[in-house]
Amino acid sequence: MSDTTRILTGIPASPGIVVGRARVVSDFGDLQAAFRLLYTDQERQAEVRRFQEAVEQAQADLTRLRDRVAAEFPEHTHLLELHLLILKDQMLHDEPLRLIREENLNAEWALHRAYERVRELFSRIEDPYIRGRIQDVESVYRRLMGILIGQSPRRLLPTGDKVILVARDLSPAETTQMAGSGVVGFITERGGRTSHTAILAQSFEIPAVVGVDNAIREIAPGEELILDGLSGRVILHPDQEVLERYRRRQAEFAAFREEVTTNAAEPATTPDGFATRVMANIELPEEVHLVGRYGADGVGLYRTEFLFLRLKHLPSEEELFDDYRKVVAALAPRLVTIRTLDIGGDKFLHRTDYVPEMNPALGLRAIRFCLKERDIFRRQLRAILRASAYGRVRVMFPLISSVQEVREAKSLIEEVKAELRREGLPFDEEMPVGAMIEVPAAVTLCQMLAPEVNFFSIGTNDLIQYALAIDRGNKQVAAMYQPLHPAVLRMVLQVVTAAGVSGVPVAMCGEMAGDPLHLPILLGLGVSELSMNPLAIPVIKRVIRSITLAEAQAMASRVLEMVSVEEINDYANHFLKERFPEIYRFGSALAGL
Amino acid sequence: MPEKSHLVEREVWVENRLGIHARPATQILNLARQFEAEIVLEKDGCVANARELLSVLALDCPQGTRLVVRAKGADARDAAHAMVQLFARKFGET
Repeated sequence: MSDTTRILTGIPASPGIVVGRARVVSDFGDLQAAFRLLYTDQERQAEVRRFQEAVEQAQADLTRLRDRVAAEFPEHTHLLELHLLILKDQMLHDEPLRLIREENLNAEWALHRAYERVRELFSRIEDPYIRGRIQDVESVYRRLMGILIGQSPRRLLPTGDKVILVARDLSPAETTQMAGSGVVGFITERGGRTSHTAILAQSFEIPAVVGVDNAIREIAPGEELILDGLSGRVILHPDQEVLERYRRRQAEFAAFREEVTTNAAEPATTPDGFATRVMANIELPEEVHLVGRYGADGVGLYRTEFLFLRLKHLPSEEELFDDYRKVVAALAPRLVTIRTLDIGGDKFLHRTDYVPEMNPALGLRAIRFCLKERDIFRRQLRAILRASAYGRVRVMFPLISSVQEVREAKSLIEEVKAELRREGLPFDEEMPVGAMIEVPAAVTLCQMLAPEVNFFSIGTNDLIQYALAIDRGNKQVAAMYQPLHPAVLRMVLQVVTAAGVSGVPVAMCGEMAGDPLHLPILLGLGVSELSMNPLAIPVIKRVIRSITLAEAQAMASRVLEMVSVEEINDYANHFLKERFPEIYRFGSALAGL
Repeated sequence: MPEKSHLVEREVWVENRLGIHARPATQILNLARQFEAEIVLEKDGCVANARELLSVLALDCPQGTRLVVRAKGADARDAAHAMVQLFARKFGET
């Protein structure tokens, strides 16, 4: 490895290895701008002009402001005078111009670099009063940056060949834009392996590494790098030898993926005859093709938030119906499980006027939101029921925490059914209704919930978050987010046992369900339907076909005796490594982790 | 042409309570811009161009700081003198 090669590490979020050139997208508080390099004199001249025009505009704005203030509050003009001086200061004015001309940076990036330098300088000032003047510098900086960004598109998702996007964070909406663009992978500073963005990257098969500290500062735009979404490594300035090594690994991984994918569509039954259903989690109608490609037995979780987040307006019943019908009809006769709106929390509707919540995860979201915003909920239920006429649909409600919520939701379904009958619109009278078990209260109540529903689906991502009180997006505690935690396993057992008494089937649709490491234990606990990111299906099916239910049950009982998650993790890892060495090597990564 | 290389140095002390914060720095800068001479402020080997606001602020001069004013150029003597006066007046503060 040459001495210029550097390695950054993060969390592997979407498997695969790609080589590409970095495109850095940065944000400045609530402002966001693209970083790019300038290649010609012409570009540099244009950028110098753009910067100077922004300074002139800022100066005009500040002068106008000062004159207005001077008329009414002459004693307060000094602050604006100060800002006018900062605007033309060498460090914030001459230096960006130099960076544009000599270092080929675009105006935003040049300004940002210059500001960072001033901030660095000020951070070393001991006198707190003088150090506090950085606020004035920041104010001028933000004014200028705002003007610059206003003149260019707000947030450019670049196009082009083999682009690896580097950003502080990417919203799910931005991640969806990547599909079909030239972006071959991405790196973010924020996020965890089960964050929404990571899940989307997996379904689009875009390798990704998240949680890379200081990625924006460390990675220069245009730089060639290797992104290893299997190990979570980012290799900067790779030399030939390293490139070769990674190309080999890339090929091995592709071969492994190819191999496990053959006969994926066959049903997955254990050698001793325990039949399971391995389903796909999907988000968009465009993902329907993944269901076939990876051999899913149906859809165990169809998330329905995207249309609500993507459209500028509240989607109409027809728009919803259109999407649902497409998915249902394309997959018929396979089962499609539609989850009603799980909005709120981190993916809140911006246009509704709710105040920001202190604890969105504990706030007005999912079924709570729907039971409050009944018009929206009704509209969605109508669309789902109408789609049920085109194939096999079942519906489930997220974040159930009481029997009452299930009853209210069901009575709304009945009302909607009556409307549809009156209107003569076809739907499935027998459409099954399920409750998601993802709040500890629902686990405790599952015996009482069971008679109310046709099925349960354990949503592990939220259940683990709530049971262990871990925010999976918070890097400080992300490592404590442990699916095999004894408390989590006991909750799963409790649900399966209570449901068994009432004859209600139990599915599982969190990321936990798609990890070959967890699978034998889940099977042993009695989970017979698993839904996961489509990529994971071939691996999971292969494991199911290779271990007997008896063996899985023996493992589950051993694990239930263990008191620490470390012990359980060791045990599960050891088993996978011994029994499925090739899956152990790549499988966890392929499984969407 | 002895004027050209004229160099004047004066010692000054920051006596106002808040030190060289934004307003005094602005006064230093406005004063420096009235002269042709190049004026720098030196504190413990660190140098700031008196015409650059952020550079003066970053010098970090609370009350009690000792500075050397160094002026160079045709009107260096007057410039240094004016600067000494400004410091002596405590920038009009207390």
